[in-house]
Amino acid sequence: MTLNENEITLTLNGESVRAWAPSRMHAADFLRQRLGRTGTHVGCEQGVCGMCTVMVDGQAVKSCLMLAAQLDGAEVRTVESLAEENGDLNALQQAFKRHHGLQCGFCTPGFLMLATSLAARGEPMSREQIRDEISGVLCRCTGYEGIVRAVEEYLQLQQNEGQVVEVEA
Amino acid sequence: MNEFVEAPAAPKETTRQEESLKHRLIGTSVPRTEDERLLRGDGRFTDDVQFAHQLEMAVGRCPFPHARILSIDVSRALELEGVKHVLTGEQVREQSAPLTVLRPVPGAPQLPYYALAQDKATYEGQPVVSVVAVSRALAEDAIELIEIEYEPLPHVSDAIAALEEGAPLLHPQSLASNLLASNGDRAGEPEARIEAADVVLRSRMRIGRVTPLPMETRGVVAVWRPGARELSIHTSTQVPHLVRKQLAESLRIGEECIRVSASDVGGGFGMKLGVYPEDVLASLHAMALRRPVKWIEDRMEHFRASTHGRESIHDYCLAADAEGRFVAMTNTYTTDIGGWNSPFGSSQLSSVIFTGPYRVADAAVERRVAMTNKTPVGAYRGYGQPEVNFALEVLVDRLARKLGKDPLALRELNMLRPEDLPWTVPSGAVYDSGDYLRTLRMAAEAVDYAAHRASPRVPRPDGRILGIGLSSFVERTGYASARFLANRGSKFGAHESVTLRANRSGTIDLYTGVSSIGQSSETAFAQICAEVLGVDFDAVRVHSGDTASSPLNTGAFASRTLIAAAGALREAALPFRDKTLRLGAWALGIAPEEAVIEGYEVRHRDDADKRVPLSDVFSRAILGQGIPHDETPGLETTAHFEPPSAAFSFGTAAAVVAVDPETGEFSVERFVMVHDCGVAVNPMIVEGQVRGALVQGLGAALGEELRYDAVTGQLLSGSMLDYAVPRAADVPPIELLHTEVPSPVTTFGVRGVGEVGTIPPGAAIANALCDALADYGVEFSALPITPESVWRALQAARESTQGAAA
Repeated sequence: MTLNENEITLTLNGESVRAWAPSRMHAADFLRQRLGRTGTHVGCEQGVCGMCTVMVDGQAVKSCLMLAAQLDGAEVRTVESLAEENGDLNALQQAFKRHHGLQCGFCTPGFLMLATSLAARGEPMSREQIRDEISGVLCRCTGYEGIVRAVEEYLQLQQNEGQVVEVEA
Repeated sequence: MNEFVEAPAAPKETTRQEESLKHRLIGTSVPRTEDERLLRGDGRFTDDVQFAHQLEMAVGRCPFPHARILSIDVSRALELEGVKHVLTGEQVREQSAPLTVLRPVPGAPQLPYYALAQDKATYEGQPVVSVVAVSRALAEDAIELIEIEYEPLPHVSDAIAALEEGAPLLHPQSLASNLLASNGDRAGEPEARIEAADVVLRSRMRIGRVTPLPMETRGVVAVWRPGARELSIHTSTQVPHLVRKQLAESLRIGEECIRVSASDVGGGFGMKLGVYPEDVLASLHAMALRRPVKWIEDRMEHFRASTHGRESIHDYCLAADAEGRFVAMTNTYTTDIGGWNSPFGSSQLSSVIFTGPYRVADAAVERRVAMTNKTPVGAYRGYGQPEVNFALEVLVDRLARKLGKDPLALRELNMLRPEDLPWTVPSGAVYDSGDYLRTLRMAAEAVDYAAHRASPRVPRPDGRILGIGLSSFVERTGYASARFLANRGSKFGAHESVTLRANRSGTIDLYTGVSSIGQSSETAFAQICAEVLGVDFDAVRVHSGDTASSPLNTGAFASRTLIAAAGALREAALPFRDKTLRLGAWALGIAPEEAVIEGYEVRHRDDADKRVPLSDVFSRAILGQGIPHDETPGLETTAHFEPPSAAFSFGTAAAVVAVDPETGEFSVERFVMVHDCGVAVNPMIVEGQVRGALVQGLGAALGEELRYDAVTGQLLSGSMLDYAVPRAADVPPIELLHTEVPSPVTTFGVRGVGEVGTIPPGAAIANALCDALADYGVEFSALPITPESVWRALQAARESTQGAAA
């Protein structure tokens, strides 16, 4: 049945997508239930735990605090977009694996999307800053150490690559 | 063909030593196989399972801590378009039996805990009605349209008050009081020793109520095919085979009709141990509607409907001679189990390790299980051990202050030495082996304890005073045996099991009932299996948590998986290896003794040209072609293994705190953990487990608490906004040190590691605060410890000093 459904057009992981969603459906449920991207998880639906963190127009957002209708015209990136085209894990995912930055893995997509948005800022960050910046996503398994190490390594890698590009330019 | 292998006696010491010399994978930080899917968003958690024509369930819950249900009118809900089915208590009573208990308290009656409340509800959040509709949102709309008339009843939310004369009774038809049961253990003559002791300390210690809070809430998808008589359950559980048993009991159908699978589980921590009301409800709806029914717990429900942890009150008595030698110890503890008995009930483990790592022959413990109008309490990581560690270790420091002794020296004096082990504690459990003293000394050295003790407690320039606190512990990991469990009335065994099956691609399918909850068992199991077989790590594919494909097992809890599974893996792999060698040798025309397995091949020991791929060898076995005449076709082994005893992990933590003596504000500046879990199969995973559990322990020590309003009985901290779970920025610097004393009672010498971190933080921090504030004379007798509780302790100390002066 349709209960005030809206048509939504968005770019999802580089692909143009059109779908319908009830007015009261939040963006996380929309991504999972209507677009089949179940890598984005739902943990509290009140914007605290950060499991549902995705990138909307380049910013990390908690998609449980957005309505699906707000994604109309937006560019959305979810965890499914991160791996390299040849199927390999990207540098951030590899760093999480190397540093044991995940155990049950439920929070992992949220941290990966948050870290991706941090890297996009192109600023160096200390460990303390990283700890502050990632405090919007909770993890109950790891104690965060592996996550902090992985994000730190990835940000440094991005910094170095950025510098190389600048030199070449 | 199946080759069922009998569980053998404990492997001989020599065998283990020989094996440990040539370990190729055991002891290596192999990257986790689980990560590949989880990092790509390809995990399959319960809410990711989706069926065509699936319906969704919502649950209406009692808003009062204790209330009689006078009437329920569902008519308006049924009129809402899209609503398919509604259940009330009456129908549930007709169609199902009460939830059963896996770990009953000896002597406790079976309470009539139905999936929906009958004439009354005994906790806020107890399910009263359930609705299935085309969407969750619509099902919730329908719940709003159901009219329920409640008569609120007097409630009790404090466990001690609940046991007093005249307290409101929760279950008068089953129990004459709110005492569900009590039981105890004793050794020697503690009362006589206490009578004769030079020093006797008594204290009441309160441990707060917390929630395990896995990031994935509970969930269930139930699919019923009536013609096949098959109920297929996808659920987020640590114990698929036990859920199958309990569901069969509640639904009154045979276990053969039920398949339970848990693919990826987003954390459990003891909370996902067994059947909950919603599992039964989703099944009943699915059976009535013949359509798939999904229920995903939302976080507000989770705080009220999933079992809580810890809350208990410990009345400890520690008696010593003038030198500080412990002569007797007793602990009478009251656990608050809430409104109903949960599948795993109250913490028996507090009774097992209440004497800690100390030499005390005369000791007694008594457990009293109290019912209150709160959410049921169940297992939570550590499960009784952080509680008694806090009580005992705080008391040890208190004794040191009373006697004017150094807390480190007092622990040294009383600690069991390696030569004292094995040591039997009053419960009959046996500490297997270990060097407890070494961990104490390592922790002290790491924080420069001696220099700190020699310096005065003066404020730093920032006004804060430094203190160091120690906490030593012994932790039971795994279960002693099925016989030990039987004595306690447990409805589960102590064994683990695996099936290994060769496939035609030349790899090995490993089937286990252990679900993947973040503990990395898929990686560790493959390491052990590949180690014994001689194949590559990648040649073993682990299939977890499906009752239809795995041999019957026990499950992922009590730090027991590897304790038991290591043996099962070895006992299944050895005959698998031998048959592979026999068939491979036959194919090569050599003797089995000349053949070895390496990588993906069987080859001649000395002649590298004589080789045959495993895909060939396994295909021969599966086809029954090209094998010796006296061999049967097939290559598949199953082993069940029960360790002869529990393995006890041990260690010492040291906390360094800086506290402001005016405001009570404090921070943990360093936290050092020295820990021994025997042989570490994968050191990277061990570190992850210890760190993760430490942060949970720090959370419970420093702020997490489920508080109930004393007047209304309502949960006050029942959302993520109100419950202070540690964030990345809240975690103090943690340093880990390990010792490795192999356990003599397990295969490969492993000890459990999943829970240990939850144990020492509370006591170490309390002791550090007392050390820093030694000149003020503060004491702590409750967890959590917040700046407010430090400030109150300072006020109390000042008042008592002034009182003494006046």
